[in-house]
Amino acid sequence: MNLAKKLSNQQENIKQPAAKDISQYFDFSRKSSTVVILIAILVVIGYFIWWLNIPFIEDIFTAGTITLIMTLGFQLFMGNSGILNWSYVGYVGIGAFASAIFSMTPAVKTMQIPTMYPFLINLHLPFPVALLAGALVAMTVAAIIAWPLMRLSDAVGAITQFALLIVINVMLSQWSQVTNGPRTFTLGGKRLTTLWVALGVAVLVIIAVYYFKESSLGLKLRATRDDRYAARSSGINFVAVRYCAYVASAFIGGLAGGLYSHYILSITAASFYMSELFMILSMVVIGGSMSVSGAFFGTLLVTLLRQFLRQVELFLTRSGFEASGSTEIVVAVLMIIFLIWQADGITGGRELSWRSIKRRLPSGSKKRNKVLKNKKQEEKA
Amino acid sequence: MNNNTILQVSDLYVAYGSIQALHGVCMEVHKGELVSICGVNGAGKSTVLKAIAGVLKPRSGSIRFKGKEVAGSKPEQLHKMGMALVPEGRDIFPSLTVEENLRIGAFGRRLDKSYAADLEDLFSLFPILKERYHQAGGLLSGGEQQMLAIARGLISNPDLLMLDEPSLGLSPALVDQIFELIIELKSRNITILLVEQNAQRALGIADRAYLFSNGRIEYSGRPQELMDNVDITSVYLGGQNGGDV
Amino acid sequence: MNAQILLEFAINVLSMGSLYALISLGLVFVFGICKLVNYAYGEFITVSAYVLYFLGVFTGLPWLLVFLFGILAGVAVGFFSELVAFRPFRERSLDALLVTSFAVSVILQRLFQLGISPRSKAVPVPAFFNMNIQILGVITPLRNLLIIGTTVVLLTVLVLIMKYTTLGVAMRGASENFVTARLMGVPANLMISVAFIISGFLAGVVAIFWSARTGSVEPMMGGTPLLIGFIAVVIGGMHSLPGSVVGGYVYAFISNVLSLTLPSSLLSFRDAFMFAIVIAFLVLKPEGLLRGNYQEERVG
Repeated sequence: MNLAKKLSNQQENIKQPAAKDISQYFDFSRKSSTVVILIAILVVIGYFIWWLNIPFIEDIFTAGTITLIMTLGFQLFMGNSGILNWSYVGYVGIGAFASAIFSMTPAVKTMQIPTMYPFLINLHLPFPVALLAGALVAMTVAAIIAWPLMRLSDAVGAITQFALLIVINVMLSQWSQVTNGPRTFTLGGKRLTTLWVALGVAVLVIIAVYYFKESSLGLKLRATRDDRYAARSSGINFVAVRYCAYVASAFIGGLAGGLYSHYILSITAASFYMSELFMILSMVVIGGSMSVSGAFFGTLLVTLLRQFLRQVELFLTRSGFEASGSTEIVVAVLMIIFLIWQADGITGGRELSWRSIKRRLPSGSKKRNKVLKNKKQEEKA
Repeated sequence: MNNNTILQVSDLYVAYGSIQALHGVCMEVHKGELVSICGVNGAGKSTVLKAIAGVLKPRSGSIRFKGKEVAGSKPEQLHKMGMALVPEGRDIFPSLTVEENLRIGAFGRRLDKSYAADLEDLFSLFPILKERYHQAGGLLSGGEQQMLAIARGLISNPDLLMLDEPSLGLSPALVDQIFELIIELKSRNITILLVEQNAQRALGIADRAYLFSNGRIEYSGRPQELMDNVDITSVYLGGQNGGDV
Repeated sequence: MNAQILLEFAINVLSMGSLYALISLGLVFVFGICKLVNYAYGEFITVSAYVLYFLGVFTGLPWLLVFLFGILAGVAVGFFSELVAFRPFRERSLDALLVTSFAVSVILQRLFQLGISPRSKAVPVPAFFNMNIQILGVITPLRNLLIIGTTVVLLTVLVLIMKYTTLGVAMRGASENFVTARLMGVPANLMISVAFIISGFLAGVVAIFWSARTGSVEPMMGGTPLLIGFIAVVIGGMHSLPGSVVGGYVYAFISNVLSLTLPSSLLSFRDAFMFAIVIAFLVLKPEGLLRGNYQEERVG
């Protein structure tokens, strides 16, 4: 007992200067610690999986990272504005098709989608530019139509967004000259969204989404979420604030869509509809819609859960039970359970930060007390 | 607590989210009494009525109605037990006719002869409602709507009638009418808990009164003592007893 | 334009509109009381349609009984889904309710896929439904007239209930101001249960005519009527029962006009046009054609 205490004391003594330096750094930019931690987790897992070099696991990680970008973009609008944005997957779809059209070579396009408009066939951009251009197309569509919709809240707002999703879906699935209509749209060529590409974009998006939330725009938007009328009376133009977030969210959605189409290599309009929306929604709800950390850990958790359930499903199907679709049931039930008992998700709507981790660790709280004591002594002196 | 006590509130705490609205309120109402609650805006007068009627869930404390603990009960259960709250701002159902509004007030009652008799009785109190019987509630004037709201509360023959700011937004002549009506109800031996901003008028007709300030009871007693002991205007203008307004 | 085409057009609009009116009425009943846009409503219809399919295929029950059980299934699923999935959320945010209804919809769809079949099944339809009859030279299947007649009867009964029974009056009151209605002794749980029961009942009736028209039932079939209901509700006004009925007919009218006037190359975009009109409606006239009296306050 004594020995243990001594040991821990010693350890503390040894560690303290270094720990203090780090905590000082994080105290200095306290808000940044969330971003650093999230990125660190992602990069470490990514590096480890790359090092393992098992294609199956690498694929899961890459797809999961793309999904993470989708949920982050979704959270950007929903989390800060409190409005369910059903149309979001529509923008993901637009980004997916647009970037694919930009990046494919004219030869492949003529072969795969003979009905396509000639000027689109001749368009050809390198992959990174195509990715960005696809996201810009999604953003532009959002920018053109969103303004009048941002006034609407509650039930009417939800139905409008829902209707918008259907409009986008009908366009994607019927416009043969652009999307190959209801038929499968095959990109051809090799997979351009590699693990590192997805990871790199995800890192950038984490930073963007987090700093958006902390920016004055994000703050204003959160104010409109908590009390629309109070925010309005303190001079916040809630339509404008929502609009900016909506358009930004469409951009990230488009980006995720582009990564997705260059990963999966064949898409249809149906890939960007209710079940994808449900997947994103379940991740954000289970993680906690109000925080970036919530979207992050929700994606992590639900992705793992889905992979696990999919294996169970496969096993059951192989053993002769019809089990396809049970994954969604489990996720949906889990989501309802969360909504009843833990409506703010596993993160409770808070951000994971250096401080919140330290608070959990017993030694951390000791240290904090010590620091406080020191401070008090200093004050006395 | 004696047999005569119909409502006893003790140590009641109510909060709107993180904002504490009532801090340990204790009060009681006896059978046949007219008790008035006065205080400035935001003092917690309406909050206490809403908590008693079950619209707001108290954080802690007890509410006993007719000897039964009812804190946390649903509004519809309390109504069944004999409570009726005439809400602030009247809250009549605008697209429903006067008749239909009254029928909702009598929810759970059979529409039999005794109902018809009570209705006739109400019409003698509120003749205008008989005239407007088949008109939509939303088309009535403010005063008429208030009458309808009170009638809607009365039609269930409540043991305790709670009136929340019945004179709010009415012209002086109508305010007179409403207060005359309350006196009439009192003479019919109806137990009334009245929340009013118009303290002078409310104290003038009440048997007892509570003075609320910042979610606490600042003073309670007979209206006359209250008027003698407390400088009402100072409370209203945010003097020593009033706290910040 | 001759009278015959006009009559044909009118029958199309009226029969489609009647079906749509019932769909949107089922949505509005629940919305009025709970302020819930019920995404699982389409699955209420699917459940009924499956019951019609099973009873029609595997039993020799007379049609009337099959229909009755189909409707009862709708009522049951409405009632129980409220009890299990929505009641725990009463005190939570509207968004939580909305998300839950979406989750319930997904759960039911997957259960149909798992428990029955992902493929569509042919629903037997009584022969007299598809019997062609001739009115003033226009040939139309009998079911088109049946739906019009059924709707007229149902609407009349509903109007009578809502106007003359205490329960109906209380429901109208509760949809205008739920809290005040409760203060008058109207039980919240009863109101909400009744709203879901009526909604399920209408879903059951819709299922009969919907599956008669499409001739089949499949796990995802609820999507289309749900969307139609949304549009009709939005056009007519979310807060008004008569509005939702009007919305159903207006939707049928617009849809038929679009079918007739759109060039065939754009016909596949009809839904997109339809929804664009809806969005325009929402933006220009968020309260719909008929504005009901309501308060923004929520069920508490």
